[in-house]
Amino acid sequence: MFLQFLFIASAFLTLACTIAVLVTKNLMHSCVFLLGTLIGVAGLYATLGADFVAVTQIMVYMGGVVILMLFAVMLTGGKDFVSRAQTLLGLPATMGNKWTYGLGLLVGVVFLLTNVKLLSNIITTLPTAEINNDFPSTVSRLGHLLVKDHVLAFEISSVLLLGALVGAAIIARPRKHN
Amino acid sequence: MMSLASYLIISLVLFVVGLVVMIARKNIVAILLGIELILNAAALNFVAYSRYVTNNLDGHIFSLFIIVVAAAEAAVGLAIVIRFFQIKETIHIDEATQLRN
Amino acid sequence: MNQTVVSYLAQYEFFDFLVNLFGKNQSLLSFLIYLIFALLIVGMCATIGGLGTYAERKISADIQARIGPNRVGPYGLLQFLADGVKMIVKEDVMPFSADKMLFYLAPILCLVGVFATLAVLPFAGGFIMTDLNVGIFYLVAISSLVGVGVFLGGYASNSKWSMLGGMRGASQIISYEIPVTISILAITLLAGGMGFGTIVGSQGGLPHQWFLLHNPFAFIAFFVYFVGALAETNRAPFDLPEAESELVSGYHTEYTGMRFGFFALAEYIEVFVVCGVAAALFLGGYNIPGLKLDLLPLQAVQFTVFMTKTLALYYVVIWVRWTFPRLRVDQLMSICWKYLTPISIFNLVGCAIWMVAFNGKSIADIIFGGH
Repeated sequence: MFLQFLFIASAFLTLACTIAVLVTKNLMHSCVFLLGTLIGVAGLYATLGADFVAVTQIMVYMGGVVILMLFAVMLTGGKDFVSRAQTLLGLPATMGNKWTYGLGLLVGVVFLLTNVKLLSNIITTLPTAEINNDFPSTVSRLGHLLVKDHVLAFEISSVLLLGALVGAAIIARPRKHN
Repeated sequence: MMSLASYLIISLVLFVVGLVVMIARKNIVAILLGIELILNAAALNFVAYSRYVTNNLDGHIFSLFIIVVAAAEAAVGLAIVIRFFQIKETIHIDEATQLRN
Repeated sequence: MNQTVVSYLAQYEFFDFLVNLFGKNQSLLSFLIYLIFALLIVGMCATIGGLGTYAERKISADIQARIGPNRVGPYGLLQFLADGVKMIVKEDVMPFSADKMLFYLAPILCLVGVFATLAVLPFAGGFIMTDLNVGIFYLVAISSLVGVGVFLGGYASNSKWSMLGGMRGASQIISYEIPVTISILAITLLAGGMGFGTIVGSQGGLPHQWFLLHNPFAFIAFFVYFVGALAETNRAPFDLPEAESELVSGYHTEYTGMRFGFFALAEYIEVFVVCGVAAALFLGGYNIPGLKLDLLPLQAVQFTVFMTKTLALYYVVIWVRWTFPRLRVDQLMSICWKYLTPISIFNLVGCAIWMVAFNGKSIADIIFGGH
C-alpha cells in the first residue's frame, strides 16, 4: 500500500521532471528539473529495496553534481542554442528531417522487436512468487561485496576519483599568460 | 503496478529523453545534463534487474559505480566547460573544433 | 529491519487496543501514528527554531552587556511570535526581473532539506520517527538540499549581493561537507553501523563511554565535525554568504516576509539538527547516565538528556558567533581544504588502526580493564 504510493509518486516525479528537462528552454530550470528527476529515481531505488544506492544517489547528485551544473550554467551565461527552425513535433531542425526520423523509427522498431524476443524468456519466467516486500538491510552485504568480489573495481574507482579531482583542478585553474 | 516492466518503461523514457537532450541541445552543459539522464537510466535498469531477476546485490554495486563515474565525469566535464568558456567565450558545441588553440 | 516509532509502540499492551479498534485498516493506523509524530516533531522543532532567534538575541545581549528583548511576554520570551506575526503580515515583494519559479522554490527547498532530516534524529530510544539503517548517511545527504536552496535563492533574486552570497554559500556548503562526512565516517567505523539506534546504542550514558572519549582520533573528529557543521549551517565565524558588512544580507537580500522567515527558520533548525547529531554521535545521545533500560516512562528522561546536550551545544554555537570575527573567503577555503580535510582523513585512518590494534576497546576500557 505505502510502497505502491511511493512508487507512483516517484514514477510521476521522474517522468514529469524528465519531460520538463526536455521541453524547458531555460537551462537553469532544466537543471532544477534534473534535480527532481534524480530525486524521483532515488525514490524508485527505495521502492526496489536499494536503500544504500538511493541515499548515495541523493548524496552525490544533490550535494555535488547538480550544484556543479548550476555553477557551470551561471558562470557561462546559460544561453541555450536551440535553433528556431523546427520540424516534426516541434523538435528542433538540428535533429534531422523526415527521412532521418523515419529511418530512426524503423531502426527503433527493429531494435525493440529484437530486444523483446531476447528478453521475453526472462520476463515471462520471472520468479514473481519469491518477491517479498520486507527489505533487509543491504548495507553490510554491499560492504562485503565491495571488499571481496568487486575489490578491483573499487580500487580502480578510487584511482578514477583521484584522477578526476586532480584533473578538474588542473583544467579549471586560471592561467595568467594567455 | 510495481513490476519489472514499469521500471523498464521509466528507464526507457529517461534514456530516450537523455538522448534527445544530447542531440537537440547545442549547449555543452545541456549535453552533460543529457549524459546524467542516460547514466541514471542505466543504473535504474541494473537495480531493477537485480531485484526482479537475479536476486543478488551485484546490480546495486554496478549502480554505485555508475554514480561514482557520473560524479567524476561531471567534475571533469564542467571543468572543461569552464576552461572552454574562458578561451572561446561561448559554450556552443559547434565551436569546439580544435584540439589546441 | 528498520525500527520505527510504530514498531516501538507495538511492543506495549495498549497498542493492541488500537489495533483492535482499527481492525483491517492497519496501514491507516500506522499512517496516523506517523502523522501525529511528524506533526509533533515539526511543531516542536519550529518552536525551537523560533526560540533560537530569541536565545541568539538574549545571549548576544548578555555577551555585549545589554538587556536584549524584554517587552513581549515574560522576559521577552514571546518575541519570536511577535516577529513571526510581523513576517506573515508583511508585504511579499519580489524583484521585477527575478526568476519567478526559482524565487518561489528556493526557500521551500531549504525548509524541506532541513525538516526531512528530523525524520531520523534520535530524540529518545522510541521517540524517533524511523531508525533507518542508513540513518546518518541519509541525514547528511538530504541536508545538502539546503545548498541547492541557498544557491537558487542567490541566483533567482537577480541581484549582485544575492548572487555573490549564493555562490559563496553553495561552494562553502559543498566544500565543508567533505570533512564533516569523513568525521562522521570515523564514528560509523567505531559504532559498526550507520543507523542512529546502533550508534547511540553502542555508547553509554557516562562520559567515559562516549565516542568523544573513545580514542584520541574520535576526540579530534568531534572538533572537526563541529567546525565543519558551523560552516555548513552558515554560522559565524563562517557566515560569509550573509556577511552584513559586505553583502547586505547575502542570498536572502531580496526576500521579504515569510519567505525570508523560511530561510531564517531553516537556518536555526539546521543548527539544532547539527547540534543534535553531534550529541548523538559523540556525546552519548539519549543514554541516561548509569542506566541502560528502555521502558516507556523513561522516554521522557531520555528526551531530557538528549535535549540538554543538544541545547548546550546550541549555546556554544551562539557563543562562538558573538566571540570570533568573520573569516575571509580565501581563509575559509584554505581551512577546509588544507587543514580540516587532511585532519579528518588522518582521523579516519587512525580510528581504523585503533579498532584493529585495540580490538575496539576505548581508552577507559584499556586503562581500567573493562569488558
